[in-house]
Amino acid sequence: MSATTIAKRVLPRKINWGHVGSYAVMIFFALLYLGPILMLVNTSLKTMPSFMKDATSLATELHFQNFVDAWNKANFPKYLLNSVLYTTAATAIYILTAVFVAFPIARGYIKYSGAFLTLFVIALFLPPALIPQFQLMLNLGLYNNPIGYVLLFIVNPIGIVILVNYIKTVPKELDEAAALDGCGYFRFVWSVVLPLIQPALATVVVMHAIGIWNELIAPTIYLTNKNYYPITRGLIVFQGVYGSNWPTLAAAVMLLTLPMLILFLFLQRYIVSGLTAGSVKG
Amino acid sequence: MSYHFGRGWSKLVPYLLLLPGLLFYFLISLGPSMATAVYSFTDASGLKGAPIHWVGFDNYREFLFMGRASLDNLAALQRTLIFCAAVTLIQFALGLFVALIVNQRLKGSNIFRTIYFMPVILGVVIQGLMWSLFLFPLGGPMAKVLSWFGLHSEFLGGQPTQAFMWVIAIQIWANMGTTMMIFIAGLQTIPSELYEAARIDGANALQAFRNVTWPLLTPSVNTNLLLNVIGSLQAWQLFLVLVGYRNGTQVLGYLVYATGFGQTSGSVTSSFRQGYAAAASIILFLLVLVLGMTVQYFLQRREARILG
Repeated sequence: MSATTIAKRVLPRKINWGHVGSYAVMIFFALLYLGPILMLVNTSLKTMPSFMKDATSLATELHFQNFVDAWNKANFPKYLLNSVLYTTAATAIYILTAVFVAFPIARGYIKYSGAFLTLFVIALFLPPALIPQFQLMLNLGLYNNPIGYVLLFIVNPIGIVILVNYIKTVPKELDEAAALDGCGYFRFVWSVVLPLIQPALATVVVMHAIGIWNELIAPTIYLTNKNYYPITRGLIVFQGVYGSNWPTLAAAVMLLTLPMLILFLFLQRYIVSGLTAGSVKG
Repeated sequence: MSYHFGRGWSKLVPYLLLLPGLLFYFLISLGPSMATAVYSFTDASGLKGAPIHWVGFDNYREFLFMGRASLDNLAALQRTLIFCAAVTLIQFALGLFVALIVNQRLKGSNIFRTIYFMPVILGVVIQGLMWSLFLFPLGGPMAKVLSWFGLHSEFLGGQPTQAFMWVIAIQIWANMGTTMMIFIAGLQTIPSELYEAARIDGANALQAFRNVTWPLLTPSVNTNLLLNVIGSLQAWQLFLVLVGYRNGTQVLGYLVYATGFGQTSGSVTSSFRQGYAAAASIILFLLVLVLGMTVQYFLQRREARILG
């Protein structure tokens, strides 16, 4: 046995300080990100007196009553249902219309398809539509109306651009072959294109739905009737009333955060691919 | 591109099916967006049936040059620029730094990546409430940390500048993950042979970064800078959740909302001044346009220099 192998056995493995530093940085940032969530979890399990005495002490009493209180007082079931309805209705209408906008543009089946695409791209740079949109809704009698609220969200130009780019990767020979077999335009888009562009569809649906779900400004502007509030607005109103009762408020926030975090683990890759679509090539 | 699905009238089917989506887009998004410019020259109020008059440049004049109110507006404008500069620079630098570290593919780095990206899905309401609790001045976690050093702070309820700085920090916290993800996507397109070659040529880590990573990361750098500049100029929702419409903290986006839809303070709701708000939002739009195009111009010059 040579001297070097003995040395290897006896001496501890050389520490890679670069890796140690990297882990230190990653853990530091992780604490910054997990800290607020852990505080939320901890607070949601405490009683009010124990929170006032020491806000950061570990919850030993596991006061689950907070969740029951939050669920009932915050009118959670109603607001959640509203959020689900708005999100699914608007996303469904949007994606169905968007596919029929994106496909002919990607294929050049309509005249001036390039110009149409530009029309959707410039939307990203135009001024916000806030004020005239409000005037429009007001004059159509759709103010404080769930249907009017859903209408606000059936448009998303970035999604169209993502879909067009993806459809371009579907071979054009498919169109020809399907047409030769007597397949009509609608049926082709519906039963051939849709399944083929599923990854892009998923990305656009997820991005669009999250946007609606998290929207706070639109419900504040357009919905005055409490029965129409989505959960975001509901939480803010609840904060206004129970703002000083952090344990109950934290439980209310937790009730919304937990399912979203679980959903996030499944949806993460769709969000990431939406973000980075086209950005790498510039 | 020739159309295969029939001839004659049936060639119109794509147009027919495209129509709903296009119509919605014009009616709900593109049309109103353009009409903002028109409304900015009127005294529209936002009350149903109230008459609307043409007032020329009055709204702009009032916004920029009329007494105390316009001083507040200009302060808000300045604050918007500070917010934009601070958020863009810090978020860009942190995003790049974290992306480089996570991209080393050490064990568990995927978990860390997921953790940093998590706030993106939560939205401003949860982000804001979470941080309000974390910054709870009476013995919350951050207050406790300060107390170890004998310090005390009111955080979001303290001096306006202080509250403003906290919103900047939380804005960066919330969106750093997006910047990081775009950088990671860019980093993964750089072929590892280049690093191999750099190492054989005797380059150290810093030199490899300067001569391989940084130039080849140009597309992600451009995307991130533009997204951050435009995004932070228009961002204001965290202000709504964290501090409300408080003097000394307003940015332009919040000002547009508050003047257009009334600002409730206590039981008093100020009147809706939508023509004025439209003028303010056009000013914000011009700011976005000018800054966005300037950044774009310099980025393209830089790109040409690197590639050329």
